Amino acid sequence: MGNSVWNHCLSRLEGEIPEQQLNTWIRPLQAVEEDERLRLLAPNRFVMDWVRDHFLERIQSLLEDAQGHREVVLEIGSQASAPPPARGGSRTRGPAKSNGAAHAPATSNINPKFTFDTFVEGKSNQLARAACSQVGENPGAAYNPLFLYGGVGLGKTHLIHAVGNLILRNRPGARVLYLHSERFVGDMVRALQHNAINEFKRHYRGADALLIDDIQFFARKERSQEEFFHTFNALLEGQQQVVLTCDRYPKEVEGLEERLKSRFGWGLTVAIEPPELETRVAILMSKASQDGVELPNEVAFFIAKRIWSNIRELEGALRRVVANAQFTGQPITLDFTKEALKDLLALQDKLVTVENIQKTVSEYYKIRVTDLLSKRRSRSITRPRQVAMSLAKELTSHSLPEIGDSFGGRDHTTVLHACRKVQELRDTDSRVNEDYANLLRTLTT
Amino acid sequence: MGPSSPEPVQLPLGIRWEDAASLASFHPAGNARALAAVERLLAGEETCVYLHGPGGTGKSHLLQAAARAGSERGDPVAYLPLSERASLRPEILEGMERLDLLALDDLHCIAADAAWEEALFHAFNRMRDAGTALLLSAADRPDAVGLVLPDLVSRLQWGLRERLRPMDDDDKLAALRHRARLRGLELPAEAGAYLLRRQPRDMDSLFRLLDVLDRAALAEQRRLTIPFLRRVLAAD
Repeated sequence: MGNSVWNHCLSRLEGEIPEQQLNTWIRPLQAVEEDERLRLLAPNRFVMDWVRDHFLERIQSLLEDAQGHREVVLEIGSQASAPPPARGGSRTRGPAKSNGAAHAPATSNINPKFTFDTFVEGKSNQLARAACSQVGENPGAAYNPLFLYGGVGLGKTHLIHAVGNLILRNRPGARVLYLHSERFVGDMVRALQHNAINEFKRHYRGADALLIDDIQFFARKERSQEEFFHTFNALLEGQQQVVLTCDRYPKEVEGLEERLKSRFGWGLTVAIEPPELETRVAILMSKASQDGVELPNEVAFFIAKRIWSNIRELEGALRRVVANAQFTGQPITLDFTKEALKDLLALQDKLVTVENIQKTVSEYYKIRVTDLLSKRRSRSITRPRQVAMSLAKELTSHSLPEIGDSFGGRDHTTVLHACRKVQELRDTDSRVNEDYANLLRTLTT
Repeated sequence: MGPSSPEPVQLPLGIRWEDAASLASFHPAGNARALAAVERLLAGEETCVYLHGPGGTGKSHLLQAAARAGSERGDPVAYLPLSERASLRPEILEGMERLDLLALDDLHCIAADAAWEEALFHAFNRMRDAGTALLLSAADRPDAVGLVLPDLVSRLQWGLRERLRPMDDDDKLAALRHRARLRGLELPAEAGAYLLRRQPRDMDSLFRLLDVLDRAALAEQRRLTIPFLRRVLAAD
């Protein structure tokens, strides 16, 4: 980077301005040296205004000292497609940062890494995956719109990108737009400001497939909803595919217009559930192998048993184990993993014991713990008992015989049967599923 | 930071800046893994690092050091102290994906503020798409600092997390002597121990004290002996 003048200026400022202010206001600036002037690019208006009000005069006078009179221009932006600077230990970067990125409407933005091949399938996401793959094969024809919903960190974004990648693989020239709902709002606001609403409309309505993530952030943004409503209608009419994700069932999003909610239901609405233990293990194994890390099975089970709520946290735990292994040069064993995740798991370990599960489940179903451990076989007791056993398998690392033992000396096959039964009921009976989810939440947070 | 214009500070001759927060001036003590995490981030091996722990464990130091290290190799970087939230607005997160590194200090200060949380959530998504490295610090884990936006919490759980531990007195003494050495000062062990026995023992106060001692030693051309410390501290 040939910013000799700016570097000089920066080193002078280092001696004058407290380090913290330098880090907050001066170091984000990118300098472009031109013949007659120095352009300083700030990431946003807030930084630009602050620099102008507090530092610009001083910067100007430093430049005059160094170079004679020279104009300083302060603006918002970043260096457009700057050539990658040569530096030691090259960093792996995403798409090149360019000035245009923040102003031009969103372009494809499909992440090539999120494909169906890299998506780990399990009971919890089977349906969503199947729907996405059909839409990817037959965009505009299979289900339109396709609406995916589920809690945070369960793989919605991965699937929506996978749809985009599949469409692009089958039709390389297709116009597939992926964006976060915030981007749609931002683009629209800018279009209105710049009197370019027609370009905005053309851009979004000309897509072969429009994939929008996290549409719950449209809530209470009436003008955006209005614009989106028309975009949505135009796309559906033209048999162009729309795929949306949301953190909850469309009808439950507060601050979303009724007509939008009802249209979201015109195609297929499908849920993604938290992954069950086996899927969590598979996700860890897959992630580790992508990163070229050898992960013993027992380690994957150990992590997966303790972290169940979302995939990001699961990946975060794996990241920690891998980073610590590289730092210490030790192999990833069970003992090493326990040590590496000690802080992370301290809370969970303390709370989730079989006794705790029995107590919590009894309270939830308003029965006594002694009933749970007794030989009684009335339905009002067996169902909670099966749920408790299933939770014990999911949340503790006790073996099935141990779990059986702690439920009044039952056989491990009884535990196995309980787990299967509960899984079956969760698939068919939404009340059981809800009870189970509530208990999981209570026990782990 | 405050709204007042920063007056160029007149520095006494000879005050050096080498001991400003840098990776070299971080005394790892029990927190070597946190330092390693920051180094991984700077080397591009991680995209998000989350440091947590009580005050005075060196989180701000590491964040500022990372910003400085990035800047020194020519990258645009920013350090935002969220404890100064009164003089900042969520809009400051706009366009941060244009930088190579963003360090956000004291995340817990914006917890439960809906506008800040949502702005950070969107900024996180944009930075992730753009490949901008993100370094965060907070008093506690992402799910325990009072954040209300689950989408934000889960994204923060994604990163490499390390907890910083408070230093014991031996570590503090070593850190203090290390920082003194970077200023070209020799702080004898017994003089350091003397300070630890008589002064507030949080690292911020100790480093500020070092600054006072440095100036006094320079002005009087004295070494940091216990009698000298006693006299300076009495006068201070």
